[in-house]
Amino acid sequence: MQNTDCTFICEQFTEYQENSLSSEIRAQVDTHLASCSACREIFQKLTGVVETLHKLPSLQASTDFTSTLLSRIETLNQETVWQKIYSSSYSRVAGYAIAAGLIVAIGINILIDPISPIKPGVQSNYAGEKINPDPRTESLAEVSDSSANQPADSLTLQNSPINSQNQSMQLVSGKK
Amino acid sequence: MSEKPLKTDEQLIADFQNGNENAFVELVDRYKDRLVNFVYRFLHDMTDAEDMVQETFLKVYKNKHAYREIAKFSTWIYTIAGNLARSELRKRKRRKTYTMSALSFDDNEFTPVDPGKDTEGIVFNSYAGEEIMKAIYALAEPFKTIIILRDIQELSYEDISTILDIPMGTVKSRVNRARLKLQETLSYLKE
Ligand SMILES: [Zn+2]
Repeated sequence: MQNTDCTFICEQFTEYQENSLSSEIRAQVDTHLASCSACREIFQKLTGVVETLHKLPSLQASTDFTSTLLSRIETLNQETVWQKIYSSSYSRVAGYAIAAGLIVAIGINILIDPISPIKPGVQSNYAGEKINPDPRTESLAEVSDSSANQPADSLTLQNSPINSQNQSMQLVSGKK
Repeated sequence: MSEKPLKTDEQLIADFQNGNENAFVELVDRYKDRLVNFVYRFLHDMTDAEDMVQETFLKVYKNKHAYREIAKFSTWIYTIAGNLARSELRKRKRRKTYTMSALSFDDNEFTPVDPGKDTEGIVFNSYAGEEIMKAIYALAEPFKTIIILRDIQELSYEDISTILDIPMGTVKSRVNRARLKLQETLSYLKE
């Protein structure tokens, strides 16, 4: 397609093959093809391409295509049913009732056991032995305080803050 | 025993719109192979093609009332399937851009050719089916679409004009340009 004439001729090929050109243009293409080898070559190749395209084997959907599709649709329908139930006014009321019930239940639970996350024993652990209300740990603290008067072997044991804290922890947990 | 006259696609979709699910199944039977054949030419992958055709039918199922009798059912379903296939191609192209393809030809991305591979076993006028499929896949999108619709699905110019929403004259000139481009691409691939 070196010049405009060739370009114009090539643009007519499809209609030329389909026999839908006016006799005037058809004659123009015939004359051109007779004298231009470049366009003739393109036309021949084009004819081959189109014929190959028409002869391409047609593919088929796999045998379980329809059953797979129908089960997908079934799933879809089930989802839609649930969406409808969920969005219907009746179920919204039911939903509110369940939500309200849950809130009431949580509220009652808090009233029955208002300080469950902050039990006194745990508090004393964080604050240290001196605030611990347990009399047994108080007495232990006293022993620790008076450890200066104890013999050396017991001093190391009783004076260790880790040790006494461990003891108070054991006591508190034992009290639970 | 006289056979019941076959219902038209348009009668079937009308039945389906009125709640007859069997009419839908009948439409699936009529179109599944045609559409798989159609979408496969875009995607070059059978699993993806079947998936996309399933999506097409699901869309038809969900949006049955979107169909109006002013159009042929075939052009409607081809439009849906074609849009899905082309949007999948755009997604692939974006992914491909990220992975940087070194081979490019005009505005097309090229799939390297595996010479001597002719799984479809068709050799006509020195063009093998597999070669031609690769060449189609390598075409720019508007050319690819028009070749598939006209030369593989063998739809009429009028139907193609409806599906692509372009004038008949444009369809004809695009078919011609696409064929020339395809022939050029094939020559390039064969070098
Ligand atoms: Zn010429």
